[in-house]
Amino acid sequence: MNSRLLLAGFIIPMALIIAAVPSNTTKQYKLTANELLQEAVSYEPYIHPDNVADMLVQQDPSLQLIDVRTPDEFDKFSLPGAINIPLSELLADQYVDILDQDVKMNVFYSNGSLNSNEAWMITRQLGYSNNYVLQGGLNYWAETIINPVPPSSTSPDEEIAKYNFRKGASMALGGSVEGNTAKSAIPAKPVITSKKKKKRVAGGC
Amino acid sequence: MTTKEQKSKAYMNPYLAGVLLGIILLMAYFVSGRGLGASGAIKSAIVTTVDAVAPAHAEKASYFSDYKEAHPKPMKAWLVFEMLGVLVGGFLSGALSGRLKLKVEHSPKITSKRRLIFALIGGVLFGFGSQLGRGCTSGSALSGMAVLSLGGFISMAAIFGTGYALAYFVRKNWI
Amino acid sequence: MGPLVANEIITTDTNLVFAFLIGIGFGFVLEGAGFSSSRKLAGVFYGYDTVVLKVFFTAAITAMIGLLFLSLFGWIDLSLIYINPTFLYSAIAGGVIMGAGFILGGFCPGTSFCGASIGKIDAMVFIVGLILGIFIFGEGYPLWEDFYKAKFLGIPKISEFMGIKDGLMALIIVLVAFGMFWIGEWAEKKFPREEY
Repeated sequence: MNSRLLLAGFIIPMALIIAAVPSNTTKQYKLTANELLQEAVSYEPYIHPDNVADMLVQQDPSLQLIDVRTPDEFDKFSLPGAINIPLSELLADQYVDILDQDVKMNVFYSNGSLNSNEAWMITRQLGYSNNYVLQGGLNYWAETIINPVPPSSTSPDEEIAKYNFRKGASMALGGSVEGNTAKSAIPAKPVITSKKKKKRVAGGC
Repeated sequence: MTTKEQKSKAYMNPYLAGVLLGIILLMAYFVSGRGLGASGAIKSAIVTTVDAVAPAHAEKASYFSDYKEAHPKPMKAWLVFEMLGVLVGGFLSGALSGRLKLKVEHSPKITSKRRLIFALIGGVLFGFGSQLGRGCTSGSALSGMAVLSLGGFISMAAIFGTGYALAYFVRKNWI
Repeated sequence: MGPLVANEIITTDTNLVFAFLIGIGFGFVLEGAGFSSSRKLAGVFYGYDTVVLKVFFTAAITAMIGLLFLSLFGWIDLSLIYINPTFLYSAIAGGVIMGAGFILGGFCPGTSFCGASIGKIDAMVFIVGLILGIFIFGEGYPLWEDFYKAKFLGIPKISEFMGIKDGLMALIIVLVAFGMFWIGEWAEKKFPREEY
């Protein structure tokens, strides 16, 4: 008899507390702020446009370009094969499989690199790997790939080789910005192979 | 005080036992991310036995082969180890309070034989039901309730509801 | 932090060691509370001994409140723990069959192991029955496979089903549990039995 009251005196207040506080629905970040700082300092998320262009020309299947701009901007212009995940939608459930995997190399891009950096930070903090940022964003892409500056005739050979590559890539990828409104023939829909994720524990009686 | 109770130490206070059991269940969730269970361990043992005795048959029976596929080493399962622990823990507690005794416990109104027949029938039903219901009292009802699983509450209500509904008809066995 | 195994803080082998230790605790408490005695267990259905009700629900509410607090402090990620999937028809039918098994056999699987460990022959026979029952289910599986998989509801929580917060649901369950304890103790006084 007494033990029931004792138990009630203990459990019921606990239950009242738990009923009164909001439940903890925050998504647990896999990395602490400190770890993230370490990452940001030591880890280079940037991919140079030359490398991206090279992968595009080679039609490297492991490349997945992700446009974090708004859908409007994406419709006006996007890189070949890119899919659109606006920054504001980054945490939507439907994109988890694309962002959290270890098969493809995701490269975020935006106009500059501010938004794509933010996207990288967030996915990194969630513990997702294999996400990168297009260095300098589309602005730098335009400078380097779409309208490369011809090197002077006195430039070293590698500069000229680089320029030739960029010219070639630019042509292969559909030339100037204006001419590029037609999107690539085999767009979007990446084949997603989810990596082995932390799974709910399997069980049962 | 009856003679039996004088011989063996009294049982634990039920509320204290409940809190302890709750803490153990909480530990199971915290460490292993799963609740307690029992019938799954027997299933592991059956799958292993069927597989050893008649491997071709084990392949054919899809319930067993599915399980085997999901658990390549059925005897190396969490529940098997847990149930081995239950045997040890039960024995320890029984030994400490002087309750170790080989006997058939039954109401004075019935014979041992009748008790054993009913135990067997009850076991068959419980075994069957635990598979159909995806877990027994510990695996589905107790562990399920702790994580607020709707299925756990349904199992609990169905088990105890049926128990009460049928209690009158077999009262002679118990009282 | 938790569950330790899902967050790879301990290995799966260590997890099995913990399973054994947790099992020892489980068996010790069950036996200590008297769950090794079928007549004590069956008492809950006749009101002369409601120890099952008390232990069972006290354990459930303790673990439930504990889990919610651990989650509140961020010590356990509830999305990683195993929750039984709910298949409505088979859950009800399975529960009904188990209920019948309980009142006829006097044990449930966990308690029968507990009883067997201290030498109860009826518990050992019950385990033989369990083995037969599970074997029959596996052998005849094609016959009831459709029913077994019918009406899948996912893994809903009762709080989602009722449309309220987990914490509030827990409070309601705690209050209901104490209501039942009170009834149980009243029943023990009303239907007393000297010895069983």
